[in-house]
Amino acid sequence: MPFNQKPEKFAAKINTVTIGNGDKAIALGGESVLPLYTFDGPIDNAPKVGVEITDLGVEDIPGVKAYYEGCGSVADMAKKASEMEGADFVVLSLKGGDPNGEDKPTEDLVAIVKEVVAALGDYPLVVEGSGNVEKDNELLTKVSEACQGTNALIMSAKEENYKTVGASAGLAYGLNVGAESAVDINLAKQLNVITTKLGVNPEKIVMNIGNAAVGYGYEYVVSTMDRIRNAALSQNDDTLQMPIITPVSVDAWSVKESMASEEDMPEWGPAEERGIGMEIMGAAADLVSGSHAVILKHPQSVATIAKMIKELV
Amino acid sequence: MAKFIVVGERIHCISPVIREAFEKRDPEPILKRAKEQIEAGATYIDLNIGPAENDGEDLMKWGVKLIQENFDNIPLALDTANKAAIEAGISVYNRDKGKPIINSADAGDRLSYIDLAAHNDAIVFALCSAGAVPADADERMVFCQQMLEHGLTLGMEAEDLWFDPLFLVAKGMQEQAQHIMNATRMMNEMGLITTGGLSNISNGMPKEIRPIVDSFMLAMCMANGLSSIIANPCDRKLMETVKTCDMLLNNTMYADSYLEL
Repeated sequence: MPFNQKPEKFAAKINTVTIGNGDKAIALGGESVLPLYTFDGPIDNAPKVGVEITDLGVEDIPGVKAYYEGCGSVADMAKKASEMEGADFVVLSLKGGDPNGEDKPTEDLVAIVKEVVAALGDYPLVVEGSGNVEKDNELLTKVSEACQGTNALIMSAKEENYKTVGASAGLAYGLNVGAESAVDINLAKQLNVITTKLGVNPEKIVMNIGNAAVGYGYEYVVSTMDRIRNAALSQNDDTLQMPIITPVSVDAWSVKESMASEEDMPEWGPAEERGIGMEIMGAAADLVSGSHAVILKHPQSVATIAKMIKELV
Repeated sequence: MAKFIVVGERIHCISPVIREAFEKRDPEPILKRAKEQIEAGATYIDLNIGPAENDGEDLMKWGVKLIQENFDNIPLALDTANKAAIEAGISVYNRDKGKPIINSADAGDRLSYIDLAAHNDAIVFALCSAGAVPADADERMVFCQQMLEHGLTLGMEAEDLWFDPLFLVAKGMQEQAQHIMNATRMMNEMGLITTGGLSNISNGMPKEIRPIVDSFMLAMCMANGLSSIIANPCDRKLMETVKTCDMLLNNTMYADSYLEL
């Protein structure tokens, strides 16, 4: 019997969210098919790859260090990151603001954001807060003001601070809002519902549903993404039709598989290669499961994942 | 399973306000009730113009255009015994958001309403009765089979026949409630779409009791696979029941605010 292909059709669609301005802007989402299922229907906006830099400067990873050689400021790094092979957007993490870490003052961080905005122009920018809920209340409000007009994505509004972050980024300054939950589908939906009720346009919301390094409970990430995409498409649940962005690098580079030195673990080989492997595996799995954008930091991972996307979409 | 469908029943010529609006062609009361029902969660709006023997065609056309033009072509159930009025309504009906529903056929005198649906590419509510009250679930299934075969012979898709197991008043015919549930389950097992006029079940009961009986009956029928209901979506208890059953049946994703969606 000949093979008779029956495309799976859904009467629902993922929202399209635009980040950045003009020719350089990127669009996330917009498709009516399961992740990468181009055989069922068109995917006009291929998944995107973001390059993460931080306010703390260049990290001590040889390949990363070499790439940013000569950069005198975070703004220089941002410019360089935007030119990386395979990069679609730049992610500026303000983790130096964390009160449990360097605890940099908000003004210093906002000054960095302003320089980065000036260096990137229309190029799509994503800004991540310090990770501390209280600090981010103030920090992300000021950051949103500094990003006005850039159509950046501000991450993240969590259950505890979605009102401040949503009101500043989404309502006052017309930016895109990242809604962050920690691998909890019901909370992911609830956060979209309450952020929308606040008045934020659903077409300006991107979900960060959380992540884990491969081997560290990653199967929960897959199942959460699967169920979100299914509810969005087969149940036409418009509170879950927001595209998904997934920060991969943070988890990938903070587990023993990528951190243990070669001296301690000679049988594992060079640490950097392992870190790259963790990033690539995580990002590839996220894209297959439903992410519309992944955030990476090593040039080799960025180039590899960009190539994978190009071959598949 | 698909999300449960509520057909809003509040535009009905039995209501004096609506009857007067029909007579005077006054849009306001009709639009008000349509809006309330849509906001409360109705997927379809039932437009019951009664027997409408004199000006049924003109009235149905007016009603269909009025509601669809004001509410983004919301799909409608055209509810009258006047076949010419149904065809007139369909002639101006916009199908963007779904096919029209003909309300309704049965296995007796009104069998030909299935033909009407077949000729007009419409959905039809098919009452499992031939006039008299069916004794039990098995008798309902006989009527269901007859109407299904009739529709399929005319070239209809099974999914365009929505079978109504015939909801009857519990006060006086208490034993019928479980026959309705059993018939619903059997139809569901055959893969058929089901519907019903819920409020019959609580007919004649005190006003404060009706929403309770309606909600419990609906929950028990949804557990047996009921796909849709013709009811008043402005009854808050009823919509809480629909949303909660939909969630527990895994038709919708839970979130703390699910009752507000």
